[in-house]
Amino acid sequence: MNPKTPSRQRARSEVQTPLTPSLRNAMNNMNIRSGAATGTSPPKRSTMRSTKASSGALDTTNPFIASSQLPSGSKSRSASKSRPGSPVKRNTIPTNESFVKQASNGVIRKGGVESRLDVVTNDYVPPAKTEMKRSKSTPANRAGADTRDRFITKKEANTDIAAVAQTLEKMSINPAQSSPGHTARLVAATGMPLTRRILGYHEPPPAASSSTGDTMLTQQREFARPLYAQRPGAVATSTGATTNKSRKIPTVPERVLDAPGLVDDFYLNLLSWSVNNAVAVALEAATYIWSADTGNVVPLGEAPEGSYVSSVDFSNDGMFLGVGQGTGDVELWDVETGQRLRTMGGHTVQVASLSWHQHILSSGCGDGSIWHHDVRMSDHKVMELLGHTGEVCGLKWRSDGELLASGGNDNVVNIWDGRVGDVGEGARGSAKWTKRNHTAAVKAVAWCPWQPSLLASGGGTNDATIHVWNSTTGARLHTLRTPSQITSIQWAPHRKEILTTHGYPTNSIMVHAYPSMERVAEIRDAHDSRVLFSCISPAGDVVCTGAGDENLKFWRIWDIQNEQFTKKKIRRKDPAEVEELGGGMINPTKEGVLSIR
Amino acid sequence: MATKQANKQAITLKGSCALVTEFFKYAVNTILFQREVYPSDDFHMVKKYGQTVLVTQDLALENYLDRILKQVQKWLLTGSVTQLVCAIISKDTRTPLERWVFDVKLVEPLADSSEPQAPKPEAEIQSEIRAILKQIISMVTYLPVIHEPTVFNILAYTSESADVPAGEWVDTDPLAIEASKSQQVKMRSFSTDVHRIEAMVAYRYEE
Repeated sequence: MNPKTPSRQRARSEVQTPLTPSLRNAMNNMNIRSGAATGTSPPKRSTMRSTKASSGALDTTNPFIASSQLPSGSKSRSASKSRPGSPVKRNTIPTNESFVKQASNGVIRKGGVESRLDVVTNDYVPPAKTEMKRSKSTPANRAGADTRDRFITKKEANTDIAAVAQTLEKMSINPAQSSPGHTARLVAATGMPLTRRILGYHEPPPAASSSTGDTMLTQQREFARPLYAQRPGAVATSTGATTNKSRKIPTVPERVLDAPGLVDDFYLNLLSWSVNNAVAVALEAATYIWSADTGNVVPLGEAPEGSYVSSVDFSNDGMFLGVGQGTGDVELWDVETGQRLRTMGGHTVQVASLSWHQHILSSGCGDGSIWHHDVRMSDHKVMELLGHTGEVCGLKWRSDGELLASGGNDNVVNIWDGRVGDVGEGARGSAKWTKRNHTAAVKAVAWCPWQPSLLASGGGTNDATIHVWNSTTGARLHTLRTPSQITSIQWAPHRKEILTTHGYPTNSIMVHAYPSMERVAEIRDAHDSRVLFSCISPAGDVVCTGAGDENLKFWRIWDIQNEQFTKKKIRRKDPAEVEELGGGMINPTKEGVLSIR
Repeated sequence: MATKQANKQAITLKGSCALVTEFFKYAVNTILFQREVYPSDDFHMVKKYGQTVLVTQDLALENYLDRILKQVQKWLLTGSVTQLVCAIISKDTRTPLERWVFDVKLVEPLADSSEPQAPKPEAEIQSEIRAILKQIISMVTYLPVIHEPTVFNILAYTSESADVPAGEWVDTDPLAIEASKSQQVKMRSFSTDVHRIEAMVAYRYEE
């Protein structure tokens, strides 16, 4: 740490000195002028002084004195302005004690001494505005000695001179100090005392977390980000996986399921794991349910011709599956019987995200709207939430149903009040919090299961940042940059950890500690292509991921010591075992690929 | 008895620096909130000086201010800082709109050993600080409404000999407002036994 800033940094201020000569000139002129003014007005000054001396209480700024000194009235005013008043005239005024007193009090009695003296009381009342201007702009030059003395108080003149002298002195004594141009301007602007160095912190202050409408900045950031983003090669773990030494996290999947036709689309949500230990996955137009307990696969029907499934989500009790269609319809399926119970239309574009809370199925649509469907009612749409300008690709109810979080392709995270209430169609909610920190689409949103106020969100390629929010206060609590696009985020149910899945180029699964945000583990190249979807088993130990390589992989990220959680745990199987899924289509090459890794 | 006496003793230089730094933190936070440099969402209420003060909870901003104030405190200890300015600048045009100026003056550079003065009670200092903070809040009523997005900047006026961490603090423009277009209001001041802080705001005012 250098004690001082290097001289080259200070040199900048020294360069800016061309103002100096002009300033000095101006100051000199001022001095000369004031001197000249005093020189031209000795007679007047002396009279004033003598009056002052005789009365002792005379206020020289009193306009009544002025009028009494100009007995010829308004006509002579211009003359008196251009040259000093004649001493002869002035001497005609009897300045007796009582008159002076009255004058200083500002009182003129009718029929008093003033009237007898032919004092003009109405003609000459100097307008206040001109007085001000004169005193400020052209102090000594324009007005005669008369006005100068009257309207510029002696004190002011003194301080002016003092300031000028100070400036000059400083300039002459130490010309190497910070630019006199600056100083002069500063003095002019603030009237503050001169100082030697003006320092500012090298960094600009951080941008506001939820400021609206600075699209320019966002754009610029987007352009700049790829340049300065942490390149994948810069990550300490360039190959394979790293784990915390205190804990071993398996870097090979426990099980791999083939999922042919799994759509490689960032904006969709095609994977869900129910409390009944069933995994729903949508493969293009078809939806399948794989039971983790038995290993059975049940096809659940197809989307209408020409459409595809864009999102699936299990209800809280695991009995129903909501299916969002590319056409905008939201279907409700009974998992047990495999029957479609109803179709809820209304959206005009694809439903990319779904989230349940009890009987409310919320759907996030490509047009940016979020609808609450009450699945019990024939008039299913009970509320519409408008707050996104881009596709809603992330949607999560908090487990208690008080808040709903949504993330959109417009880079916004919204937190909504979850109360639906007895409002009919057309009722619209407004976001409780709107957060615009992300600089890319927000698909990954997750509520913390063990601290309800926490919400984690992760941004897309240009952002690749995890933000953790306090939904009660709206504060951003933690921020972590990751090497690549965040496609999904999950809180560990029984540990203080966050799991994220990532897209190109790392295609990794990462586990971060909370609240330190330290990296606990990273499984690099977890899939051959970007990891798109993730869900956690009801027991909270296994994470299922789906990716563009048409595989579902099951990772045992968290071990549960407590026995009560293990009863639902899936049987351990040979890691390389590949189960067939989706209408008997097997891809034998996948197994080979996996066994190599 | 002895401890009591010690408690009553005048605030040391170190204590005074901490007090001034703390005041500056709350003053800047209040300014940032009141002048809407940062959205009100980002602030939460804390009890301080016997009143509620709004303080940012944006981590990035908090850290930023902390880093600045840490250095300011060092300068205060060496007595090399004479003025602190919180300038509010238009985000788009970069023109300074307001300058909140805090003059830092040393009350007694050398302790008068011959006649030790009665130390100023803490409560009195706090009430003075409270008055300034309240005044900052009340300023909003007559300061011109800012319609554009703004950013802030903190400037420290230091002496030539001040230790400046290289690369962290750099010589900058004073962000002065042209004299013809500015108006100033002097605010209250407060003083500890060591420092005296005088506050003032200058703002752009065009007719």
